[in-house]
Amino acid sequence: MDAPVLKSNKKRGALMEVLFRLKKSPLAMFGFFFIIFLAFTAIFADVLAPHPYQRQNLSHAFETPSKQFLLGTDEFGRDILSRLIYGARVSLQVGFIAVGIALFAGGMLGAAAGYYGGWADNAIMRVMDVMLSIPQTLLAIAIAAALGPGLFNLMIAVGISAVPNYARIVRGSVLSLREMEFIEAARAVGSSDLRIITKHIIPNSMAPIIVQSTLGVASAILNAAGLSFIGLGIQPPYPEWGAMLSGGRQYIRDYPHLTLYPGLAIMLTILALNFLGDGLRDALDPKLKR
Amino acid sequence: MIRYIVRRILFLIPVLAGVAFCVFTLLYLTPGDPAKMVLGEMATERAIQEFREREGLDKPFLMQFANYVYKAVTRGDIGRSYVTKRPVMDEILAAFPATLKLAAFAIVIAIIIGLPCGILSAIKQYSIFDTAAMIFAMIGLSMPVFWLGLLLILLFSVHLRWLPPSGFDTFQAMILPSLALSAQSISMITRMTRSSMLEVIRADYIRTARSKGQKESVVIWRHALHNALIPVVTLCGLQFGQLLSGAILTESIFAIPGVGRLMVDSIKARDYPVVQGGVLFVAVAFSLVNLLVDLLYAYIDPRIKAQYK
Amino acid sequence: MKRNGWVVLLIILACVAGLTYHQMRRQQQAEEYGYESVPARSASGEGGRTDAKDVLVVADQYDATSMDPIAHNDVPSSRAVYSLYDTLIFADDEGNIFPGLAESWELLSGTEYKFNLRKGVKFHNGDELNAEDVRHAIMRATTDAGARIAVYSQNVKDVQVIDDHTLVIELKKTDYSFFPSLTHSWAAIYSKRAFEELGDGFGMNPAGAGSGPFKFVSWQKGNKYVLERFDDYWGPKPRVKTIEVRSIPEPTSRTIALETGEADIIFPVVHNDLRRVDENENLVLYRKPQNSITYVGFNVTKPPFDNVNVRRAVASALDVAGIQAASYRGVGNAPGSLVPSAVKYSLNDVTPVRERDVELAKKLLAEAGVNDLRLEIWTNERKERVDSATIIQAQLEEAGIKSEIKVLEWGAYLNGLLEKRHDLFILGWVNSIPDPNYAISGLLESSALGSTNYTFFSDAKLDELLDRGRGLEDGDERAALYKEMQLYIDEQLPMIYLHNDESIAGTRKNVRGFEPRSNEIHSFREVYFE
Repeated sequence: MDAPVLKSNKKRGALMEVLFRLKKSPLAMFGFFFIIFLAFTAIFADVLAPHPYQRQNLSHAFETPSKQFLLGTDEFGRDILSRLIYGARVSLQVGFIAVGIALFAGGMLGAAAGYYGGWADNAIMRVMDVMLSIPQTLLAIAIAAALGPGLFNLMIAVGISAVPNYARIVRGSVLSLREMEFIEAARAVGSSDLRIITKHIIPNSMAPIIVQSTLGVASAILNAAGLSFIGLGIQPPYPEWGAMLSGGRQYIRDYPHLTLYPGLAIMLTILALNFLGDGLRDALDPKLKR
Repeated sequence: MIRYIVRRILFLIPVLAGVAFCVFTLLYLTPGDPAKMVLGEMATERAIQEFREREGLDKPFLMQFANYVYKAVTRGDIGRSYVTKRPVMDEILAAFPATLKLAAFAIVIAIIIGLPCGILSAIKQYSIFDTAAMIFAMIGLSMPVFWLGLLLILLFSVHLRWLPPSGFDTFQAMILPSLALSAQSISMITRMTRSSMLEVIRADYIRTARSKGQKESVVIWRHALHNALIPVVTLCGLQFGQLLSGAILTESIFAIPGVGRLMVDSIKARDYPVVQGGVLFVAVAFSLVNLLVDLLYAYIDPRIKAQYK
Repeated sequence: MKRNGWVVLLIILACVAGLTYHQMRRQQQAEEYGYESVPARSASGEGGRTDAKDVLVVADQYDATSMDPIAHNDVPSSRAVYSLYDTLIFADDEGNIFPGLAESWELLSGTEYKFNLRKGVKFHNGDELNAEDVRHAIMRATTDAGARIAVYSQNVKDVQVIDDHTLVIELKKTDYSFFPSLTHSWAAIYSKRAFEELGDGFGMNPAGAGSGPFKFVSWQKGNKYVLERFDDYWGPKPRVKTIEVRSIPEPTSRTIALETGEADIIFPVVHNDLRRVDENENLVLYRKPQNSITYVGFNVTKPPFDNVNVRRAVASALDVAGIQAASYRGVGNAPGSLVPSAVKYSLNDVTPVRERDVELAKKLLAEAGVNDLRLEIWTNERKERVDSATIIQAQLEEAGIKSEIKVLEWGAYLNGLLEKRHDLFILGWVNSIPDPNYAISGLLESSALGSTNYTFFSDAKLDELLDRGRGLEDGDERAALYKEMQLYIDEQLPMIYLHNDESIAGTRKNVRGFEPRSNEIHSFREVYFE
């Protein structure tokens, strides 16, 4: 009944092992610490931000970076740094919750499809095929238009449009596991389907899921910023990086700092997540050791 | 082989029906009355009623859907635009060349840059070039296309005055949008080429070739590259499919009247027939490109060809 | 593998060739059917631009939506219509009326207008203008096809053709605001025969239908349309041979297009580029007050905004001039009245702009028994309106009013407004006809409930005043009446006036004869290159 690599009762050991391997890649470590830093920023935004994100000061509009406003001010004289800090909260929320939604829905569907096979598999995967053949951005736009603007709807739109990716991956790994001996053994000793799925299959298909989720958070953040950019995202005055970028693009010639910093913030976050995802893929895959 | 193609195309039918249903449901849930949008704020109640009847919007949801499918299947008729009154197919085909042009430019740029970078990276693994290329590829993957687009405009249009910031009529005007759009593909192709080359280089037959005393360049170009390219070709095809369908943001930044912008504008104008037809069109294009890629794949990789028989 | 590689390449090439061929064939078909996707003529529009410029390139923010005079009610379309067609009468920016297709006219009574048509006017298809064409165009506007412009056409009872060049327009009831409305693009005249031949495609391809100074060449939606000088034009012939109107939605890109010479005329010029255009010695900047208003409306049917004192409280919490200045950055001004300055009987320049008084706001709210007021501010995606909403929110907060901003795309916005789910909303109104009736009735009259009256203000006194106003000929009595209306509306406060816009355009220095119009229907009839 012993599973390879990541067995639940050896979780801590496995986790340390992964971290140990991750440490060998400086880029992955950069990604890891950047995300930790970002999460910290998001959680303690209220303490860290030098100004309230919505505080306007029209006589201080478009100021370039100074001691008072470290990254300058936007068209309403709001502090860009503070808005970026609160924006981290929005972006991480959207990224993680959207992936959570996608992972939950996609994981369930994928696991069911892979485990039961037959017509259930067929039905579920055909629906996923349908969703996959609509471009993700377009699907997200349509869902966002149908739901209306707002943070929560944004998460749902981005989340739903990513469901098929997870369904596919989970199904794939479940299919490969289903026929393995330890699963048959579990079945033979009379474990229920639910137990087999939750206790054996899911823990053992974690590796590709973790990698995909890390990369998925990146694409969810990117997707959400894109939606905000075309005006289907979050409502002002709440700061979202994509919306900040979109709002400042009219002033790009005179005051490029309005678009520079949010753009950098998005890029660095995505970069960090991608480095981390890449590193995790190498760390979790024994075959791909460099 | 033919049977495989036929089967794949037949498979498209339920998928398309599903896509149509999906879009229908979404549009049904979207707030905003097409009649009011099309006829204007001052339209009379009678005119609105008449519009709804004519377009079948007064019917129950499933009836509307059945009607749509029936017309599409029996007559190949996917309706007329509410706004322009032209057949939907004409609207889409008018916008498609711009998108096709953009995607073709972008994929060509991506291959021209990505392929050599990937090969060099693999040959000189762990060199400074390799590290730099990989980091740049990662940055390219992480760059939001709308930001990259703005930066390109700022640099090449505002400061250097080399290239126009919008439009697509001329060759020059195509450069910036294609560059912005290709960034992701460049990165992916570079990474894929590199990893595929690395895998091949370690393979036994390469070792054999080397041990036979073949010149290194011959080993790389004759043996390694040809085999390493197989997955890269697939990726290029898939990327092309993505570019065809996913250029919405690029099109809106650079004011290119392509399919992506048509879709977004039509959603905003509640021009339902165009949205439905457009999404179906994109889905078909996407699926066909994928099919083509699979066929190419089979063609250049005899191992897979055997499976289709 | 090597051989296979070549085959793959060949297949790809074949695909590209096939697509190109397909596109070319479509173009050919399109020409045959009339509508087209790509400019059909290779003559002057494409590539072959020579030094002796005869192509005027115009960059507009949005593309036209329809070139059918009655199937749209937006400015970019009206501009296209104004180049392609003529109206019976023309008006200048001061509201003076002068002859167009009609050489002379006569008011037979309050409900009957007689027009004598100009003789020998040719349509682009070669037919001669005839009273039947006018009858057909005007009467078609009264059908459901004209729902978008029904506010102008609804009062038409009939058009009587006396002879080939004489006709009488009959109204249902006296309305002196009707006559000036004939200068609007809704009343553009087109050939009946051409219309019938074009059928459904008319709005997208009006080839041959108009009698205007320019004829239709091609239109690629979302990109540009191309028009060409009509050599048989009855009036002064245009001096440029071809005009190409492109749509460039990004304001920055539009300005760059002008700077680089890609475009000869652009509009609007965004506020933060005004100085850049003005100070550039190769460019000329034009500014003119516009006949439009942007307002912050209340949903007066929804408590507590049904209480005029609550509306007054909200208004007192706002520094309108400050909001206007900060969101429009030096363009336009904060209005004093609903009726724009250039429209007659306007009190816009006389009435002071509403001032901020936070204490009064708090007091009024307390008196009305409203504490802890929460509201939503709705707007569509226009940047300046979102900016205004953002500042309004901050200012309301200072008066203890909590608010939430909702930026909606047009369809959802309209829908929400019609369902009366809004509290405060930001919207605009363009007065394209020089008569104060249209400045008020479309926004606040009971008859506009369910269409363009989104405050849902319905007031018997105002309705009666408007009705009387339409029944009066211009003069002191009418002037007094419209002034009374404006003051009465200020008192009732269904809306706060936020902004009077400007028509702003930029041209290359060598472009002459261009002047922006205050209704934004800019004309290219007299433009030429120096």
